[in-house]
Amino acid sequence: MADYIKFVDVTKCDGCRACMVACKNWNDLPAEPEEFTGSIQSHNTLTANTWNVITYDEQVTANGNFEWLFRHKSCHHCGEAFCEKACPETAISHTKFGSVVVDADKCVGCGYCVNNCQFGVIQLATYVDKKGKEYRKAQKCDLCTGRLEEGLRPACVTSCHTNCLVYDDKDKVLAEAEKRLAKIKERFPNANIYNPSGIKGTTTVYLLADKPTVYGLPEDPKVALSQIVWKDYAQPLGKMMLGATTMAVIGAAISTAINKGKGEHEGGQDHE
Amino acid sequence: MTNHWNDLQYADVLMVIGANPAENHPISFRWISKAIEKGAKLISVDPRYTRTSQMANTYAQLRSGTDIAFIGGMINYILENELYHKEYVSAYTNASYIVDDQYSFKDGIFNGYDEKTRKYDKKQWGFKKDKEDKIIKDPTLKDPRCVFQLMKKHYSRYDIDTVVGVTGTDKETYKEICKAYASTGEVGKAGTILYAMGGTQHTVGTQNIRSYAILQLLLGNIGIAGGGVNALRGESNVQGSTDFGLLYHNVPGYMEVPTDADVTYQGFLDRITPKSGYLTNKPKFYTSMLKSFYGDNATKQNEFGYHFMPKLGAGKDYSYIRLFDAMYRKEFEGLMMFGANPVVGGPHASQSIKSLANLKWMVSIDLFETETSSFWKKEAGSDPASVQTEVIFLPACSSYEKEGSVTNSGRWMQYRWQAIKPKGESKADLEIVHMLARRLKELYKNSPNPSDMSLKALTWNYGESDHPDIDLVCREINGYDMKTKQQIKSFGDLKDDGSTSSGCWIYCGFYPENENLAKRRDNTNEGMSNFLNWSYAWPANRRILYNRASSDLNGKAWSKDRVGIVWNSVEGKWKGNDIPDFAATKGPDDPTFIDPFIMIAGGKGALFAGINEGPFPEHYEPYENPISNAFSSVQLNPAVQFGEKATNAKGDVSKYPIVATTYRVSEHWQSGSMTRNVPWLAELVPHMYIEISEELAKEKGIAYKDRIIVSSARGEIEAYALITKRFKPYKLKDKTVHHIGMPWHFGYNGIATGATANVLTPNIGDANTTIPEFKAFLCDIRRAK
Amino acid sequence: MSNGKTPKTIKRFNKGFIIAHWVNAGAFFTLYISALPMYTEFFDWLYPVFGGPAGARLIHRIAAVAFMLPLFIMIIFDFKGFKNWMKNIFSWKKHDLMFFPQFLREFFGLKAKVPKQDFFNAGEKVNSWLMIVTTLMLISSGLVMWFPAFFPSVVVWWAYPIHNIGLGLAVAVAVGHIYMSLVTARPSMRGITKGDVTEEYAKDHHGRWYDELQEEKQQRKQA
Repeated sequence: MADYIKFVDVTKCDGCRACMVACKNWNDLPAEPEEFTGSIQSHNTLTANTWNVITYDEQVTANGNFEWLFRHKSCHHCGEAFCEKACPETAISHTKFGSVVVDADKCVGCGYCVNNCQFGVIQLATYVDKKGKEYRKAQKCDLCTGRLEEGLRPACVTSCHTNCLVYDDKDKVLAEAEKRLAKIKERFPNANIYNPSGIKGTTTVYLLADKPTVYGLPEDPKVALSQIVWKDYAQPLGKMMLGATTMAVIGAAISTAINKGKGEHEGGQDHE
Repeated sequence: MTNHWNDLQYADVLMVIGANPAENHPISFRWISKAIEKGAKLISVDPRYTRTSQMANTYAQLRSGTDIAFIGGMINYILENELYHKEYVSAYTNASYIVDDQYSFKDGIFNGYDEKTRKYDKKQWGFKKDKEDKIIKDPTLKDPRCVFQLMKKHYSRYDIDTVVGVTGTDKETYKEICKAYASTGEVGKAGTILYAMGGTQHTVGTQNIRSYAILQLLLGNIGIAGGGVNALRGESNVQGSTDFGLLYHNVPGYMEVPTDADVTYQGFLDRITPKSGYLTNKPKFYTSMLKSFYGDNATKQNEFGYHFMPKLGAGKDYSYIRLFDAMYRKEFEGLMMFGANPVVGGPHASQSIKSLANLKWMVSIDLFETETSSFWKKEAGSDPASVQTEVIFLPACSSYEKEGSVTNSGRWMQYRWQAIKPKGESKADLEIVHMLARRLKELYKNSPNPSDMSLKALTWNYGESDHPDIDLVCREINGYDMKTKQQIKSFGDLKDDGSTSSGCWIYCGFYPENENLAKRRDNTNEGMSNFLNWSYAWPANRRILYNRASSDLNGKAWSKDRVGIVWNSVEGKWKGNDIPDFAATKGPDDPTFIDPFIMIAGGKGALFAGINEGPFPEHYEPYENPISNAFSSVQLNPAVQFGEKATNAKGDVSKYPIVATTYRVSEHWQSGSMTRNVPWLAELVPHMYIEISEELAKEKGIAYKDRIIVSSARGEIEAYALITKRFKPYKLKDKTVHHIGMPWHFGYNGIATGATANVLTPNIGDANTTIPEFKAFLCDIRRAK
Repeated sequence: MSNGKTPKTIKRFNKGFIIAHWVNAGAFFTLYISALPMYTEFFDWLYPVFGGPAGARLIHRIAAVAFMLPLFIMIIFDFKGFKNWMKNIFSWKKHDLMFFPQFLREFFGLKAKVPKQDFFNAGEKVNSWLMIVTTLMLISSGLVMWFPAFFPSVVVWWAYPIHNIGLGLAVAVAVGHIYMSLVTARPSMRGITKGDVTEEYAKDHHGRWYDELQEEKQQRKQA
């Protein structure tokens, strides 16, 4: 199977928000009306029940032009995902589609992923069980993995009428993205393709009209050393240490028992 | 639309004025984006920077209500620089017609004006005729009394400096737009104008659209792919409803409603039938319509049931504003509303509430309880104890719960099937009307009263159950032979002798024999994305109106890239990518071979055409305006009628210095009675807000997220201040004027609630259509305590 | 000790120290158990015991507060003991270093000749150090994880591995410590429960301390 990606060309977005409704509809997510945001943006940022948000930034660019920047903000599906590294329950994983998904059965709602996502994407949703008890699960865009499995495109992509959102063969899309980038440079001199190599690329690739920081995105995100230390060293090492200590103790107990049996208990430890 | 949605992709330049398709017609951007990708230029002209403006190559600020100045300046630019499509203008428009000697224009007033009645005698704007009663023409367009020269003279006053001094547009931007749009006058190029309510909802609304049409005729942009004057209809089926006689002065197919001065059918027909052009066939259409109304009860002896028809009072206006005026005067007792919410959607909304309280009964047929159906409540500002109106609410079902057709802006009649069963007791509008009609007919069955004959004579044969057979309705709309009951194939086959019926002649042909063509879903593109086998477009499945004009005087396409229809001399007929909107076999031998505008007497595009306020669009200021008219001493459209004085408060610039306009957002629809009840839409735009510039906010001490109060001569509302760079103060000739804008979707019912913008809007309408002037009025703002 | 005679005992820890020790031990155990299911899936069955992950988190936070208390208890109720502890763990002499090879032999039940030790033997000193370091790691990183909003994201990101490593170390230390007290040096339990130990035990395990005590006794007598 060829690699497919979701491509977001923000310069084609006209801010209609159909993707937001399509997402809520397909994933059956509840509405979350917020207080007045001061702009026409509906939600300040992503939440556990709002997996994509169109952001609207107004700015006067360096060359004096007014630009109204729209961006379909959603999970990037990082090649090396912070949330995945952070999860102590291994509830977060990559699918064969390159989407990063949360296994709700495994998720215990600890929120480690929330604090470790550099993009502020993943969030905790609070639910109430049959007994009226609250519990939490991490939630975010899963690139409609269920749809992908059925050979359908993500719900947001199907709703996009300007082809701002595309789901297609990675090589093809990225080649077209380069062409598009060259074309729009005149109007958007800072335009760039946002597919950070520091996190081994993403399955949702953006063509941004301005620098990533203008959209509140890290310029060059990398998997933090802390996360490598933790996931790749601390966690296995910690488990090993637990095992080693236990083994040592058991070994000592057995050894002591054997030696005691020989009647060689000296060294003044047992003064009974 | 003279063209259709898919056709937008063929434009070289698209000018959006008085519309915001990115927000209000988002799907149109599928096609607009295609055009842009191919290198087309998109121009957005709007009082504020919209999402359409962001998608555009050029954005121009335009003070609300100054479209004619803006377009007039462009017309002047094109004429001065000779950028018009010369052959097209000379051959296909009435530019060469010599105008009657009586015609004059002086200081904002045309000849034939009666100040007392505020009316013109339109007959005084005729053309000069020879002894054979033929219009005298000067194909060289040099005669100083020809339409072309008079037009040139008229618009010579619209020089760029004066124009931008009125519209507040940046001069360089304006010049850039003139240049870009005029480039479509080149042979083979196409420019399209997209407009919506921003164009129409003004006291000069009709003339605004006329000015677009003139511009398009001058540039040879009508009848060709990627061209046209394109009204972006605001509802999925508003085209369909006006096609079927929604407006008080129309019966189905845009034919006239008789008045009580039309004593005989023949006399009436004589009055409404033009002497030349396709509409000379009107009597055939009218009689066939009467046959569909009254069936066998319509006979030659009783003038085909003409006298069963209700008549308008001669000279009386039954438009929306006037109805509410009449309601205010207690001139009628009852009101039935299908999906109407005037307390949110009508002008001077608080006044509407008072008028509704004068009714004896009111029926609201809607999906949700609307602000209108609960107008008697305290939240609406009423005193429930004193309201005596009996309010009945009938639950209607949504479009997904019923079967039927909608006609889109491109005149495509698209059939839709029921997706889910109606919820609860809700019923389709058609069922409600059907049940009502059957019960009424039953009640009046034995009435001896002659005035009840209208009802008794009416045929109502759509089945005997409460659920009508919609297929029978469709067949009747198309029409059939009265004797054989065979479906009519085309409106060309309709007769005026009572042997044929047709419920709506422009749709005749959509249901020939046994196939409802509106149900077709063949998406094969046979050429130029006309999709001739997808649904059915009226008239006669023609996709681009006046497509004869897509070819030159010899019948050859102006451009190889935009082939509409071309004359095939071998086969002796018009052929191409569209169905000819022209007599299919009319060849070069016929003198009318070069008359593409078949619906107009003479067949020429009307640069000069008398509507209520004159033959040429002239700029007048809105009812409420911040400056005096720069073009004449006449401030307001001289043909505008004033209604009920008590409901017609006017604000003065000294008290209300800020210009305001209203608009819609993508997420809410019309009065919001549906969308404000859908959680996923309500969360996207949950609050009512007022958009104001940073400069105005600073001046008024208004901070980010503050609540503000907007007041007009009609009332005041409170909402959030949305401070944005997208609104800028207008630098006009004499002063700087602030401009604000707000969505008009909100009311107190539903999930997303907020103040109703129409509390502020004036109760005055256009001189031709009486559409209210929602888009330009004066107000003041202050911070809420 | 089965001759019915009450053995001669020496006061080793006072109440403040003992309470501090057990609060610390109890909190640590609770923290450990409530964290275990998150630490490794092998212990997922523990979640229901706490009434689900949310319950485990709540208990973990209550225990976390308790875990931070012992230092204060010690300082307030047994400042002398605290001072002694501090003095001890900073004092490293030859007999301390000599402790370890002998200890290993002893640990596995072999014949060993351990040099005389201080109030805290070298093993306990190491245990103390490891405990202080891991506790600081756990408390500081735990607070950051509890209140991430007050810290820069880099600090938050680092808190997770630090907490994790801290836990691994602390558990290793604790397991060793418990094993020693239960199996290898059982009588010391009396010291941390009743507060005194037998003279014999003191002599054998903390010879230098015992000697000091004897010296002090002599001095007092002389005085």
